Amino acid sequence: MTTRASQRRWMDTRSGREAAAFYLFISPWLIGFLVLTIGIVIVGLLITFSNYDGLMPLEQVKLWGLRNYERLATDSKLPNVLLNTLWFTLVAVPLGITVQLGLAILLNRKGLRGKGIFRTLFYIPSIMPLVAVVIAFQILFDKNTGLVNAVLSLVVPGTAINWRLGDNIRWVLIMLSVWASLGSGMVIFLAGLQGIPQELKEAARIDGANGLQVFRRITLPLLSPVIFFQLIIGIIFSMQVLMQPLLLSAATSGYGGRSANLSLQPVASIYMWNNHAVYEIFGNGRYGYGVILLWIMFIFVAVLAFIIFRTSRYWVFYDNE
Amino acid sequence: MEANTRRVDAQVGRRNNWIVYVVLIAGVIFVFIPIIWLVSTSLKQEFQYNIYPPKLIPDVFVWENYEKALTMAPFLRYFKNSVVLSTLYATLNVISSSIAGYAFARLHAPGKNALFGILIGTIMVPWVVLGIPQFIVFSKIGLVNSYWPWVIWGVSGSAWHIFLFRQFFMGFPRELEEAAEVDGCTRLRIFLQIVLPNALPVVATSFIFSFQWVWGDWVTALLYLNDNLTTLPVVLAGTIYVDSQVNAIVTITMAAVVLYALPLVIVFFIGQRYILQGVVTSGLKG
Repeated sequence: MTTRASQRRWMDTRSGREAAAFYLFISPWLIGFLVLTIGIVIVGLLITFSNYDGLMPLEQVKLWGLRNYERLATDSKLPNVLLNTLWFTLVAVPLGITVQLGLAILLNRKGLRGKGIFRTLFYIPSIMPLVAVVIAFQILFDKNTGLVNAVLSLVVPGTAINWRLGDNIRWVLIMLSVWASLGSGMVIFLAGLQGIPQELKEAARIDGANGLQVFRRITLPLLSPVIFFQLIIGIIFSMQVLMQPLLLSAATSGYGGRSANLSLQPVASIYMWNNHAVYEIFGNGRYGYGVILLWIMFIFVAVLAFIIFRTSRYWVFYDNE
Repeated sequence: MEANTRRVDAQVGRRNNWIVYVVLIAGVIFVFIPIIWLVSTSLKQEFQYNIYPPKLIPDVFVWENYEKALTMAPFLRYFKNSVVLSTLYATLNVISSSIAGYAFARLHAPGKNALFGILIGTIMVPWVVLGIPQFIVFSKIGLVNSYWPWVIWGVSGSAWHIFLFRQFFMGFPRELEEAAEVDGCTRLRIFLQIVLPNALPVVATSFIFSFQWVWGDWVTALLYLNDNLTTLPVVLAGTIYVDSQVNAIVTITMAAVVLYALPLVIVFFIGQRYILQGVVTSGLKG
């Protein structure tokens, strides 16, 4: 049998045709992956070694080795933005998960009527587009005309906290982030809770366990894979936050002055790592350096997620163990 | 005996539950405050917005703010752009992701497992890392200020959506496809005419999520699109409703923001089931 003949035979076989169909069906994705992901990674890497500034024509771009990488050592903003980003992640993620889990537990109670309605209502914040959410929070926390200061004035008359100041705007950002994600997180935890067999909890109760013990010994361990997953997702997204600090800091819709764009530097206390990377690119024209920063954060997060995943066997309970 | 225990448990549960109801209702009100304030501000007269102390419910509901939101600035142009771009991307993404998801679920081929691993890996990669270098390339080849980037992204599918379709098709009963195969249909025809029409739930979920992504996207639209092609969020993040002294009018802007958010809320109420199911799938099977 010649090679050609056997190849032709395989292509005519069922599995040969099936494989051909497989690759045909995934070809848009595969081509997209090779060009838009792998190709872009290579282009990005090249840019980090170049002096590209966004304006120059391709012929003028030259590679200049590690010059952009050296800036990492001299950039005074880096420690600050890293701290800001870490602070945001370490506050927003645990707080968010606690709120989501708490709501899910409340909604999961036996005999609770209207569970579907509550679930829908609590989910609505998550479907609001982000620009609308930021703007809504901006007017809510306005120093003179916002509802928050008005309500606080009922307790302490004359309260006029300037929520746009560094120390305060961080908390607006936190509240905004927790608010926007509580719906989707709650739905996930609710589904996880509903996957816990009732018999286990009832058996524990019959054995004399009270609510708290049932929660600690049965519910929580069985829910730990879901909590773990939400933790990782939360960290991945919080460390790479970009939009919210920009939009929150900008004078959007009614505050006059600077409108939101990508060459803006957010208020110092919410100046996040990716904001800095984007600013270096679109504000300072340092494309190479900015791309380096973006990649560093991505690798940092990937490593973090990997470490969490590896240590998870010590505290995440999968029921096939 | 067991039945008695259950009944007692239910009674005890019901007695404690009223606290839970109170907490939940208070929670809903608390959570809705930003939305209520947004709508309330949109219905105020401008001077009323500026007085101190602010009121929660305006004295007079100024519905004209909504009319002015539509007429004082080219709101409808940007609204149309958002609708066109969101629908364009969502349609292409659904088609491409569904066919790839079907392939991963049903078809066998050498290298499939490795490719699936790559697929899962790319789900976790957030946009910024690839998006900025992509923009640099796209701008060098002249694809900015057009909707072509979205066409390209739509056609190349989305890893998460492919995963969603794959999970769905794994559980899809094979009888229909097998019958069609016996009749001699090509796989493509089987997919388009038999499988896809019966996959409405996951198609709806994927379409809605894709639509929502473009509708809410600010960064990509800001990067690529000039004023006449750009979408609502970009415009609303600026200042477009001004009075004679070129000061921004907050109340009318808020009306525009409400009009911007409203379609997503409506889509949510129509497709709730699909949205919530999609969220659950990503959380539990991810």
